[in-house]
Amino acid sequence: MDIALIRELKTLLGPENVLSQKEDLLLYEFDGSVEKGRPEVVVFPHGTEDVSRIVKLAAKHQVPVVGRGAGTGLSGGALARGGGVMIVFARMNRILELDLLNRRAVVQPGVVNLDITRAVEHAGLYFAPDPSSQKSCTIGGNVAENSGGPHTLAYGLTTNHVAALELVLPDGEIVRVGSHHGDAPGYDLCGLFVGSEGTLALVTEITVKLSLKAGSVMTLLAIFDVVGDASRTVVEMTAYGITPVACEMLDGWTLRAVEDFIHAGFPRDSAAVLLIEVEGLREASESQAAAIREICHANDAREVRTARDERERELLWKGRRNAFGALGRLAPSNYVLDGVIPRSKLPEALEQIHAIGKKFGFQIGNIFHAGDGNLHPIVLYDPRDTEQFKRAIAAAREIIRMCISLGGSLTGEHGVGMEKNELMLLVFSDADFDLMRRIHDAFNPDSSLNPGKIFPLSKGCGEIHVRKSGPAAASPS
Amino acid sequence: MAAQQPIPGTNPVYEDFSRCVHCGLCLNHCPTYRLWQLEADSPRGRIRQMMLVNQGELPVSEGFVDHIDKCLDCRSCETACPSAVNYGMLVEHARARIERDFKRPLFSRLARNALYRRLLPYPERIAIVAKLLRFYQRSGLQASARSTGILKLLGLRERDLLLPPVDRRFFFDQLGKTFPAQGARRARVAFFAGCVANVAFAALNKATIRVLTANGCEVAVPDGQFCCGALPAHAGVRDVARDMARRNIAAFAAANFDSLVTNAAGCGSTLKEYDHLFTADEPEFAAAAALAKKTRDVTEFLLALGLSAPPKSVPARVTYQDSCHLLHGQKIREAPRQLLRAIPGVEFVELPFADICCGSAGVYNVTETKASLDLLAEKMAFAQATNAQIIATANPGCLLQLRAGAEIHKTGQEVLHVIELLDRAYSNSSA
Amino acid sequence: MTSAISLPIRLEQLVGSDRVVASESAVKAFAIAGRAPMAVLKPRSAEEIAEIVSFAAVEKLALLACGSRSKLELGMPPRHYDLAVDMTALRGIAHYDPGDLTVSVDAGMPLNELAKKLAAQKQFLPLAVPCSATSTAGGAIASGIDSTLRQQYGTARDFLIGAEFVDGTGKQCKSGGRVVKNVTGYDLHKLLVGSLGTLGVISRLNFRTFPLPELCGAHLAVLPTLETALNFHASLLNSGLPFSNLELFDSGFSALLSSHLKTIGEDIPESVRATGWHVFASFEGSEAVLQRITRELQKLADRAQAERSETLDLQHSHFVNEGLREAFDWLRRAAPGLSILRIALPGVKSVDLKQILDLSEPSPLRASFLLRACNVAYLAVLAANDNAQSIAILERGISALFSRVETRNGSAALLDAPPWLKERINVWGRQRPDFPLMQRVKQAFDPQNIFSPGRFVGGI
Repeated sequence: MDIALIRELKTLLGPENVLSQKEDLLLYEFDGSVEKGRPEVVVFPHGTEDVSRIVKLAAKHQVPVVGRGAGTGLSGGALARGGGVMIVFARMNRILELDLLNRRAVVQPGVVNLDITRAVEHAGLYFAPDPSSQKSCTIGGNVAENSGGPHTLAYGLTTNHVAALELVLPDGEIVRVGSHHGDAPGYDLCGLFVGSEGTLALVTEITVKLSLKAGSVMTLLAIFDVVGDASRTVVEMTAYGITPVACEMLDGWTLRAVEDFIHAGFPRDSAAVLLIEVEGLREASESQAAAIREICHANDAREVRTARDERERELLWKGRRNAFGALGRLAPSNYVLDGVIPRSKLPEALEQIHAIGKKFGFQIGNIFHAGDGNLHPIVLYDPRDTEQFKRAIAAAREIIRMCISLGGSLTGEHGVGMEKNELMLLVFSDADFDLMRRIHDAFNPDSSLNPGKIFPLSKGCGEIHVRKSGPAAASPS
Repeated sequence: MAAQQPIPGTNPVYEDFSRCVHCGLCLNHCPTYRLWQLEADSPRGRIRQMMLVNQGELPVSEGFVDHIDKCLDCRSCETACPSAVNYGMLVEHARARIERDFKRPLFSRLARNALYRRLLPYPERIAIVAKLLRFYQRSGLQASARSTGILKLLGLRERDLLLPPVDRRFFFDQLGKTFPAQGARRARVAFFAGCVANVAFAALNKATIRVLTANGCEVAVPDGQFCCGALPAHAGVRDVARDMARRNIAAFAAANFDSLVTNAAGCGSTLKEYDHLFTADEPEFAAAAALAKKTRDVTEFLLALGLSAPPKSVPARVTYQDSCHLLHGQKIREAPRQLLRAIPGVEFVELPFADICCGSAGVYNVTETKASLDLLAEKMAFAQATNAQIIATANPGCLLQLRAGAEIHKTGQEVLHVIELLDRAYSNSSA
Repeated sequence: MTSAISLPIRLEQLVGSDRVVASESAVKAFAIAGRAPMAVLKPRSAEEIAEIVSFAAVEKLALLACGSRSKLELGMPPRHYDLAVDMTALRGIAHYDPGDLTVSVDAGMPLNELAKKLAAQKQFLPLAVPCSATSTAGGAIASGIDSTLRQQYGTARDFLIGAEFVDGTGKQCKSGGRVVKNVTGYDLHKLLVGSLGTLGVISRLNFRTFPLPELCGAHLAVLPTLETALNFHASLLNSGLPFSNLELFDSGFSALLSSHLKTIGEDIPESVRATGWHVFASFEGSEAVLQRITRELQKLADRAQAERSETLDLQHSHFVNEGLREAFDWLRRAAPGLSILRIALPGVKSVDLKQILDLSEPSPLRASFLLRACNVAYLAVLAANDNAQSIAILERGISALFSRVETRNGSAALLDAPPWLKERINVWGRQRPDFPLMQRVKQAFDPQNIFSPGRFVGGI
């Protein structure tokens, strides 16, 4: 890395906002995924102007830039694959404006997802996207990855809740897209930038839409002796026109691990549980809950419980939220996958995952958003065993391939990042890549922003343009 | 470095570190990350540093020591962690390693030595220091120091406010006594009196005994008991902590009781993990584990036992600040809240971010005063916004910190231990 | 460059003679602002579209894809218009998995035909757009015209989950997929919504479908002033009651609505005809849900001291809902020379709104007002007559309104207007700061600028 650049960054931001020592940089080479990529300098802007100046400096020195929020991403989206400057938005964490009348909040990208809700819940409002990391992840990261969560089923992903963005382009230009209130004429640029994984621009301000909290919530736990019965229940609920706001499933192996840890009341001898939530007017949620119970029983559910109060509801959700960790306790480390299938293919998909696990020698746990077919198989492995890690990756790829072959997609909410960019070839044609590449180049022509993400490198269409200047250039070790 | 002494007690293995899948869910639960937004001062970042040091890939550098020192050891990250990483164990081990491998600057070494090796292990010295302190507080010295602004000039104003007000009568003289249960005896408990609490929280200790006896507990305060060792253990001074544990194990071995009850969440958390101070093959291990198993926080104990004496009304709006070592160390969230709700007249309001440390954290408010006061400022702003008249908590250290906070930020709020409030509800009945 | 005479023949060679129409009478039906294309092509497959676009790209022919042609007049007339691509031969359902609540349809699929297919599975697509008798899925998406159901179901971008289209280089591309949750690659299909065909020729669209509601109901309240109506409107929004549609309109609009409903010939609910500010709310669900909502609506209307408060039965609910859905269509036909503005309001505050909508200066214009869900409003404005003076007054009045909206960070567009007004007023309103980015997007999709050039924002 160019010493001059670091010096200029320190002058610009103050030394307390620049990290360049190896022992500090080491802590920014990972996120929540299994990927790695070390930046050469980490900076903490405090405002949009800072970001613009940082980007201009980086451009002058021809080093790449990558944005990062809390680093909770699961696909390596916020890792410095090409080295260079990492812009950490954690100190841009102010809520700039609350417009409760029009249900909008204007926030900086480093604001934590749940903090938006905390700031507006007194008015009966909340921010709907609820990734399971919502207590730590930042809204900037949510925008980049188009994050979802259990309640995406009813309320959509981040993109459905963003009205406007302020962006810094790779040349340092500051632009605003979208509009605070209604929808302005023109292309839906917000729709393009949300979910572009930081490959088109850096987001420096977000206007989010706030939602009104539902009147009544009912949470049910259905317990099954046969996995197939649970997946059929999910399919049938749809057929009966029931629209739960969340519908989560845990398989038997997983729920046993969870139960040992959380004591959420999942019967250890069952084969699967469904956690189903309905919301709305009391009249609507009660009749939907009754219909759900009926369908569960028609599909041989052993038992259907209804949470009696907020505490019981919390406990059921705690079992779901901590499921990954509970499984993680069984092995030195774990790899959480993210794939989507049409929900009618659930029974088939689960069988195939089981078979793939067997083939590669893993017991694979299944925790997923059953309602929208978003699978999160979890593979347990030991990072010290490189051969085992390779097998885990191979198993993961086969599961993703299976999702695609069933008519599904690569990723439902974790993003492509550097985890799945090679797998993009399974979905997209040369023509698709050509167009995406033209869009990419329209904003980020030198790949100076977040290089090496989304596009498969093997196609030669996502090459990392890292033109390091001077002899001081160091390669990440 | 020459052949090193092994670090006594539990030593982490690879899995203890690798269980952290660096998901980052802990970040926003960590008070220091919330202050500075630095990975190096987050649980995830500290775990990575500790792992690299443990594997010999990073030296025990000044930077490493700084980041580990700055950890409050509040263990909030453990509550947030989906993978059940035992962070407290890791950080306490890292501190023991620092104690062994790192040469601190002279002043720091002297101060640490004085506190952990020369003061805490000697109750009579605690009493002497306490008497001197009381002289300072009572003689008008403190008042004049405060009024002349000399403290402010020396940058000591806030530190001065954090000093515990020393009791007129120490609790030491209660050691060895047994207090009979009122009415039918429902349980026999041993009471853990603490160390500094003997000189600064005698009233709290007495209140605790009153509440316990009122609820049918016979309370023994075994003689020979000692500082639990939390402060040295958290500071990495493991040999001292182990020594204290041994003495407590012996002191309580003689007594016959159902539960060992403490009103200090920090002590309770350490007592409940006494077995961590020893390895399974050491002779003390079994006794340490047995004592740990019998330890109960007073709120936990009372809730399980059930209040047999009905509290009278205390009309007040009350909020509750979780004591980290109760909530995160011992995973007790509901017991203190339910006890507060059990008092008629109490209008209970939740304190936003009650699960985030107030900055007390043992001696943290002395060693990392700036960070501690920043945390306290945020805490008091939230506390004030609740419009509560009383802030309740469950640990003496938190009481001191929050009282200082109420003073510094002029919130006009009374700060009480949950048990003190309960005791007030009982004394109302006799009034 | 080829001459016009040989073009139809070359096109016939390209896609077959039965797919090309070039007779004067036939191409006239595809005219925009009186200008007809040289030929109309009717592809049967995405491959044929790709061939047509490739050809057009090479020959630099401007091309416009259309469905039922009900909204051809949206935006500016294209600067060049050589070929029309009639999408109506591509009208199949490619996939429909009722169990997945997803459907994949060809762009030329008529929405009413799709609705029947979905209804057989007790599902529907919440794309309640005007001209529903003929509208195609592709046309509804490309036009981006508002759905009356957006209050509950959002706009098309919220349930369009994927698309296939031919880009300006003649290549078949796709984005999104057929599953409801998907973050793979750039969300290019979102850009197609409301792009007026300037980015690509849409060949297929994938939607999320929804269960058909069990029952529908509606309520109409009439209030004396804009302020009271807005307050009532706000009380409904904050009630937490789920409304599928929530609209507010003035007497002028209700009179037009009444006359439209009369042409359909059913008896019109009394409150529609009443003068005053109307607040219409429709809702759906079970019997119990409808009863609850009706009860609360009545209560809120009483509290707001509504002059009228009428709960509509199932039949009337449908009737009025459909009337409102078609508003854009019957408004533009209500009087010659009528202009329709779509305004994205900067929040709804009564005093402000009154100022914004004030068309009394320089001299009064006749206007009817409809506030649709999510701060979107429609204003139909009529000049006194078509003499030069009236036209000038209209132009000034509308320009002033544009700037009032825009200075308050709202936006406005002229959805429909006589050609002479389009020549005088930028129908898309003030250029917004993100316009250069839109140009980059256009350039990436359509490097030769062959798709409906000039029709869209800023001359794109």
